[in-house]
Amino acid sequence: MSNHNGNGAPDNSWHVLSVLVENHFGVLARISAMFAARSFNIDSLTVGPTHDPTCSRMTVTVRGESRIVDQIRRQLEKFVEVIRVEDLTEAGPFVARELVLVKVSITQDSVTELVDLVNSFQPQIVDMTLESVTLQVVATPERVDEFLALLESHGLREVARTGAVALMRGAWGLHQAALAE
Amino acid sequence: MSIATTESRTPPGASTHPLAGQQMMGAEMVVQVLADLGVDTIFGYSGGAILPTYDAIFRYNAKLADDDAKRINLIVPANEQGAGFMAAGYSRASGRVGVFLVTSGPGATNCVTPIRDCTADSIPVVLICGQVPRAAMGTDAFQEAPVFNIMSACAKHTFLVTKPEELEATIRSAFDIATSGRPGPVVIDLPKDVQNWVGTFQGEGLLEFRGFEKRRAQLEATRLTDEAAAEFFAMLAASQRPLLYCGGGIINADAAGALSEFARAFRIPVVTTLMGIGSMDTTDDLALHMLGMHGTAFANYAVEDCDFLIAAGSRFDDRVAGKVSEFAPNARNIAHLDIDAAEIGKVKNVSWSFVGDAKVGLSDLTAYGRRTGFAKDFSKWVEHIKALKRNHPLDYNRESPLIQPQEVIALLSRITKGEAIVTTGVGQHQMWAAQYFDFVNPRQWLTSGSMGTMGFGLPAAIGAKLACPDKTVICVDGDGSIRMNIGELETATTNGVAVKVLLLNNQGDGMVRQWQRLMFKERFSGTDKTMHMKDFVKAAEADGYGFAERVADRARLQETLERFVSYDGPAFLEVRIDPDAMVFPMVGPGAGYKEMMLGPYIKPREARDEKMGEVKADLF
Repeated sequence: MSNHNGNGAPDNSWHVLSVLVENHFGVLARISAMFAARSFNIDSLTVGPTHDPTCSRMTVTVRGESRIVDQIRRQLEKFVEVIRVEDLTEAGPFVARELVLVKVSITQDSVTELVDLVNSFQPQIVDMTLESVTLQVVATPERVDEFLALLESHGLREVARTGAVALMRGAWGLHQAALAE
Repeated sequence: MSIATTESRTPPGASTHPLAGQQMMGAEMVVQVLADLGVDTIFGYSGGAILPTYDAIFRYNAKLADDDAKRINLIVPANEQGAGFMAAGYSRASGRVGVFLVTSGPGATNCVTPIRDCTADSIPVVLICGQVPRAAMGTDAFQEAPVFNIMSACAKHTFLVTKPEELEATIRSAFDIATSGRPGPVVIDLPKDVQNWVGTFQGEGLLEFRGFEKRRAQLEATRLTDEAAAEFFAMLAASQRPLLYCGGGIINADAAGALSEFARAFRIPVVTTLMGIGSMDTTDDLALHMLGMHGTAFANYAVEDCDFLIAAGSRFDDRVAGKVSEFAPNARNIAHLDIDAAEIGKVKNVSWSFVGDAKVGLSDLTAYGRRTGFAKDFSKWVEHIKALKRNHPLDYNRESPLIQPQEVIALLSRITKGEAIVTTGVGQHQMWAAQYFDFVNPRQWLTSGSMGTMGFGLPAAIGAKLACPDKTVICVDGDGSIRMNIGELETATTNGVAVKVLLLNNQGDGMVRQWQRLMFKERFSGTDKTMHMKDFVKAAEADGYGFAERVADRARLQETLERFVSYDGPAFLEVRIDPDAMVFPMVGPGAGYKEMMLGPYIKPREARDEKMGEVKADLF
């Protein structure tokens, strides 16, 4: 999206959009194609089933000016199969989490050093061989970035990230609000 | 994503449809639901994967008497793209949903252009494409194409019918979606085995889309609040020079009457976009005709001068606001009425907005203004507008011995008294037609505005004539554009569709040539057609046109045009025009209105040099 208005400094803050959609064939394809066609730069897009088999939830993280994020929200609301879109960053406190699996090269000598280094991220060791260890961390996307930055010079070999999922804090729920009569 | 069952939203209690409960083939259900929805014409081309549905149409019609009004008229084009533009022309002229029906693979992919064109101009059509049987999908079967993926990127909505029980609800929902909110095309990808499936006909029911229905209900219930109206009238009261800037949304919302009433009630002049032509009678005192890249000088001057811009059903597109920061530079406030919330603030920040139906918004404004006795006098501004119109009219070379295209259009407009339906291709002829035709009513001007699809004019004219058989329908085309779908010349005569085809032949792609002249130092790469061999008149004769003539002599022009218009039946007239005629005014791509080029014949309001070579070639 181009911004022709140029009012004020560009704002590149994080936005997390939670999108409840009808659980139909092809919804993800359609929505991700729209992001590409309109040149919206998405950081992550996750989708999964919910407790309600008729709905799926997408979580979109994007960094950008609020008017561009607002444009993304409005474009999403044009989809017939989108039930409701909420910008969690605008709506109130929320919790966002991402899971990452990281494979790191090790030697017998480096393994304790590595464990000390990343200790504050509370990693779980999910696989280990004599040459490598695979760690799992669950944290906010920013913390996952920090975790990976730390490992960069310590034998990082492979990374798989899920992208963020998020929910509002407190009792309020998007699903309930969207489907209430 | 998993495939889950969507329950058809059938209300409790027995369906009242006389055929409810009967066993039917999927294909028969398609035809029955189309008939129930009032479809009288289907444009389309048959083929392997859609054969069962074509057969069902044949059998549906065979059961009815020859003169039964319920018969579904089947119009077969030369190419599926033609069917798409016929459906679009039908829809644009009538406001009803245009329907086209094609086979899988190439049949469907030939429809990509009209589908995208309909999305871009917000035209409600429904396309049903045959698809290979479900079991063959994904195997690179004969005439298989990933229609769901391709069309999803172009259409307002796309269905792939994977569950036969949902077929009839899908057809109804497609019409519902096509016409709701901002209208647009809906595609149904229909596997052959679903057409051949036999099940129980329900006779009613739609698919359920919870968020869509809620948003639509909200949109349809939206009225202008008194607070919002008060804010609007405060801005209008603070204004000395208000201007309405109206687009295709006015036509789509059937809001032309509400617009004229609003404009006349408070004496606010009106400029329209290319798509908005006809939203106000172009001969009205307050009408300034088209603004933008090839808008009238007086319309563009009014945009420069206005201090309050009221956009209604328009979207600050790049052909209007090439340089957004310099668009309406003296407007202290901008108000925007649109049915699509995503258009508000997309291009230009606005001070006031109303998301909803344009007819509702404008009528509510008029009612509030009258109720509160708003009576600000804008007569000085209206006088200024009248002076602009008087002093800077459109003009062209009136001395040349060669036929000037502007003269042709002006004559034709006079002969048809502004009451003909006019379709066009894309390019110079389209702009001349937009500039020099008068239109008394909406839905008379059918053009591919946003997509700019060459080849639109002829099939759109056929569709429009079928929708409005009592109106004179003229396709004004160029020699480049008409070649794109020239096969449809025959479709008109085969079906006895009495369209008039006016070909302005300048032996080349004139608009591209104009840009090459202005920006590429007259290197006419790929746009010269002087060596092309086609004799268009012979082509029309070969396709059965009873009137097929050519005129190159100015002295014979008016008389020939009169015979052409009054000819009873399909008519073809080629006019050899000055190949060097250009479209003016022109606001170059990416330029502001103060850089508007007026050419040699339109009087500028400030003396200045026109530097025609300075347009940047990298802008589109």
